[in-house]
Amino acid sequence: MIRVLFFGPVAERVQTREMQLEFTTGMTLHDVAARVGAQHPSVFGIVSFIAVNQNQVHDRQMALHDNDEIALMAKFSGG
Amino acid sequence: MTHHESKAPVRVQQEDFSQDEEVLALRASSKRIGGIATFTGCARDYSEGREVTRISFDAYGSMALAEMNRLREEAITKFELLDARLVHRVGVVAAGEKIVFIAAGAEHRGPAFDACRWLIDELKQRVPIWKKEITPEGDEWVTQHP
Repeated sequence: MIRVLFFGPVAERVQTREMQLEFTTGMTLHDVAARVGAQHPSVFGIVSFIAVNQNQVHDRQMALHDNDEIALMAKFSGG
Repeated sequence: MTHHESKAPVRVQQEDFSQDEEVLALRASSKRIGGIATFTGCARDYSEGREVTRISFDAYGSMALAEMNRLREEAITKFELLDARLVHRVGVVAAGEKIVFIAAGAEHRGPAFDACRWLIDELKQRVPIWKKEITPEGDEWVTQHP
């Protein structure tokens, strides 16, 4: 299972803080982003960063592993 | 809290913090510290031409904490600090209240000032925290970081 987490402005658009997707071999970050985007087209405009297991990842072709935790995040505005 | 217990040097928390307590903890870490620079970020009551009554913060807690710990370690190495502390609040912060606190301790003032500025600038770029301004005209997520 892949856990997809949403926070702040993204959570507000998706209207949930967490989604679970079934893991399939060869699944990439791009696949996860595409699945979420297909269900919630409004997130595409604001997702600027993606993290896998709490680390920012830039390569969307990155292969995922079962039980990975993905976060689709808007630009940060802390401080 | 007794004198011997001290809070972790990096924290993400709902409750307010005390700058005095943080500076005291920093000073207790080394008697070689000759200069401490601090930054306190507060919630403004005005933004983009609107009155702001409070700010609501959301965070990816585990990643925010991990990233702030990395920032602290990087700053200690990069500026040869003796110690540094970072505290960021989440949840609802009323206008005028404190949001974030950074303290950098070094042998001399130069590196302390430089590290403090670097830490708050990097925190804004790298730490997954989002603010929503709550105004009489409605709420709005802030997407830029000036």
